[in-house]
Amino acid sequence: MSPENAQEPKKGFFQNFKEIMYGMASHDMSRYALRTRASMEHLFILITMGDMIGIPILPPYYSLRLLPYVVPQISTWKRRLLREKDVSDAMF
Amino acid sequence: MSLKQTFLENPERRYIMFGGKGGLGKTTFSAATAYWLASQGKKVLVFSVDPQASLSDIFQKDIFGKGPVQIMDNLWAQEIDADSHIKAYQQEIRQKILDMYGLDKVPDEIEQYIQAASSEPAMEESAIFDAVVDIVVSGEYDYYIYDLVPLGHALYYLSMAKVYDEWINKITKLREEMREYEEMVSRLKRQKETEEDEILRELQYIRGRINASSGILTDKKKTGFFFVIIPEEMILIDTNKAAELFAKFDVPIMGYVVNRVLPRELLGQDIPPYLKNRIAMQDKHLKDIDEMFGAQVAAHVPELERDVTGLEMIRQLSEIMYGK
Repeated sequence: MSPENAQEPKKGFFQNFKEIMYGMASHDMSRYALRTRASMEHLFILITMGDMIGIPILPPYYSLRLLPYVVPQISTWKRRLLREKDVSDAMF
Repeated sequence: MSLKQTFLENPERRYIMFGGKGGLGKTTFSAATAYWLASQGKKVLVFSVDPQASLSDIFQKDIFGKGPVQIMDNLWAQEIDADSHIKAYQQEIRQKILDMYGLDKVPDEIEQYIQAASSEPAMEESAIFDAVVDIVVSGEYDYYIYDLVPLGHALYYLSMAKVYDEWINKITKLREEMREYEEMVSRLKRQKETEEDEILRELQYIRGRINASSGILTDKKKTGFFFVIIPEEMILIDTNKAAELFAKFDVPIMGYVVNRVLPRELLGQDIPPYLKNRIAMQDKHLKDIDEMFGAQVAAHVPELERDVTGLEMIRQLSEIMYGK
C-alpha cells in the first residue's frame, strides 16, 4: 500500500466509481487478455523447453539461458499441458 | 592469384578458414598459414572448431582446453574443450536459478532438464559455436585462422547460425506479442509501466551473439574460405557439391588449394610403374581441376617426404605455400 492510501483508508466516491466502471467495462477484456497472455506464455515455454515433457523441439543450448526465468511457471505449465481435457474446458 | 598475393592484396581479410573432406590437410594448411602470417609480424590465433581437434598434434604441444597457448612469437593456438565449456555453462545457469529465487538447491525436475540438455547430440557443436563467438568477438588478434571440421559437419556448423537466427526471430516475435497483451492489461487497469521483460532481453543478447558469428562467416570483405582438395576423382566430385552448398550459405570462397601433388621431377628418374600410373592419374585430375576452378586455384602443394608435425616442418611447408 502506498503512503497516500495509508493516510486515507476509506475510498472516495470517485475511486469507487472508477472501479465500478472498470468492472463493467474492461474487467472482462483484461481478464481475456490475461488468459491469452498466459496461453502464449505456455506456448513459449513449450517452444523453448519442449524437451522437458519429451518433445524435442530444438537444440536447447540457448534455451538453457532462458530456463532461470521460467522456473516458477514450469509446474503450472506442465499441469496445463498434460492434464486431461473435457467438455467443461470449453465453458470456462 | 597466388596465396601470398591473396593475403597481401586483402589486408582487411582477417578471418581465414580452411575446409574440405577429412584428412586432406586442413589442419596442416591452417598451421602453415598461421606460421607464415606470424612470421610476417601479424598477431595470429589459429583455433579448431573440431571436437576431435589435431592442432595439439601438429604443434606437438598439448593445448586442449587451455585457452590460447603461445606457440612462438605472434602465434597462438587454441583447441576448445567443449565438455568443460558445457559444464561451466550449466553451472552458470544453476547459479543464476539459485540467485534469482534464493534457493539452496536447484529443484529436481529443473536439474534433470539441465542434465538432459547436455546429452543432446547438437550440444557439443553448439557449445563450440558459442565459444567461437567469444574468441572472434574480442578481436585482439590481427588474424583468426579457423581449422574447420570436415565438410558435412562444417555445413552443419554454418547452417546452425541460420537455424538459430530463425528460431530466435520466431520466439522474439512471440515474446513481443505477449508484451503487447501485458501492456494492454496494464492500460486497462491503469497501472504504471509494465516491468521490463528479462526474457526478451536475454533473447536479444542471444541474437546479438549469433549475428556476430554468422556476420563474420558471410562477410566478403573480412572472411576468406579456402577449400583443400587433392587430385582424386571422388574428392573433386564431393568438393564441387559442397562448394555449391557453401555458396548458398553466402560463404565467400576465396580459392582452392591442391594438396598432395606428386613431384613431377620423379618422372625423369627410374620409378616403378605404380608411381608412374599415379602421376598419370593425378595429371588427368589436375587438368580437371584447372578446368573446374581455373584461376581460383591458389596453390599446388607437393606430397612431402614425411608428415607435417612440429614447427620445423610447418616452416618448410609455409615456405612452399607462401615463398621464403
